[in-house]
Amino acid sequence: MHRNKQIAIILPDTLQSIGLQSMLADYFPPVEISRYSTFEALSTSGNDTFDYYFTNASLFVLYADFFLPRRSKTMVLIDNPEGGNGLPATNHIPVKASQEVIIEQLEQLFTGDGNGISSENNKELSTRETDVLQLIVKGSTNKEIADKLNISLNTVLSHRKNITTKLGIKTVSGLTFYAIMNGIISGDDIEL
Amino acid sequence: MSEVVEEHPSLIPVINRFGIHLGLGDKSVKAICEEYRLDCDFLLTVINTFLNEEYFPEKKLQTFHTSQIIDYLTKTNQYYQRYQIPNIERHLGSFISMSTPGNNTLNLIGKFFSSFKEELTSRIEKDDRSWFPYCLSLSEKLKGYPSSGQFEALHLGTEQRLEDPIEALLADLKSIMIKHLSGDYNENLCYAVIFAISSLEKDIKQHNRIRYRILTPMVSAMEKLCI
Repeated sequence: MHRNKQIAIILPDTLQSIGLQSMLADYFPPVEISRYSTFEALSTSGNDTFDYYFTNASLFVLYADFFLPRRSKTMVLIDNPEGGNGLPATNHIPVKASQEVIIEQLEQLFTGDGNGISSENNKELSTRETDVLQLIVKGSTNKEIADKLNISLNTVLSHRKNITTKLGIKTVSGLTFYAIMNGIISGDDIEL
Repeated sequence: MSEVVEEHPSLIPVINRFGIHLGLGDKSVKAICEEYRLDCDFLLTVINTFLNEEYFPEKKLQTFHTSQIIDYLTKTNQYYQRYQIPNIERHLGSFISMSTPGNNTLNLIGKFFSSFKEELTSRIEKDDRSWFPYCLSLSEKLKGYPSSGQFEALHLGTEQRLEDPIEALLADLKSIMIKHLSGDYNENLCYAVIFAISSLEKDIKQHNRIRYRILTPMVSAMEKLCI
């Protein structure tokens, strides 16, 4: 399961900003987008955990101290394709390009360093998670699991959460079938 | 009316629940409601919420009479029991028998489905035996009250709904098939099963929205008035 992409759009042009927002939401979900009309608004928000930044050329130049280190995560909107020359090598979108071209550019940006986001998405359960799964399926309560494995209740809860995320299965019966299908427990251990 | 149904064939079971049959001709929704003596407003609201996930006018739905809502929920229950469940079972049965006999995964999926069916059946029985009659008796008791005052107290307790076990089971069933199926299987029948499960899932989601966000708050408001 992918984490939402956190995106900041810093553009004074409201229509441009909303248009970009809706394109991102339509074509590249799941995204969480914050829009700022000025750079000050972004810095006063105090939020510096965005995965991607969208801004225009003049803001990029004006606040180069901020954007240059984040260059690989920043997309600059430029008015005409030649106008980008003054900028150091950056990702940019010519705003007058057709929708397809813009989408392609966006795609490149997102696939460029997609590994940072998806690397945690490891499908296989860890050994500990498998232990927890076995106990869940046998009908143990969270408290019992914690005692048996000598871990805290919170750890059990976070293992359960990870199991559900990795497998996409929420209910105990669903997990039971998954466990049998994958030989994590044998069907004789529990009654169905 | 026919235009809407042509565009959204998934509405056919919904209008059937209201007793409307196909062969709609060019009649308007209003004409059909008159013909079948239906509350046009209620029919439209149900159809609109069914088609549009975002559209859910709680206030408006709560102004309808308890018996209308219960009647609709009862009919959807019947529809699950008489058609959708047997339908999935049929597909699932041939899916399992037409695929490689040795594929144990499929048998397990069959068992998982049976356990889901048990859950759903027991909920429906409970609805028919106690929950729905109870709701109706409450509204019967309050007959004398002006109906507008009845729903003043309804803002409370909306979003505190827990995850519905039936919905969760169905979602897991689908997810197990899509993400974790292994071995040889018959692709065409597998798609039929998943498709049938998906449409049941969608229908139950709609049913649950009305159940938890309309009926439940209505009942708790009526309970307050009865005390």
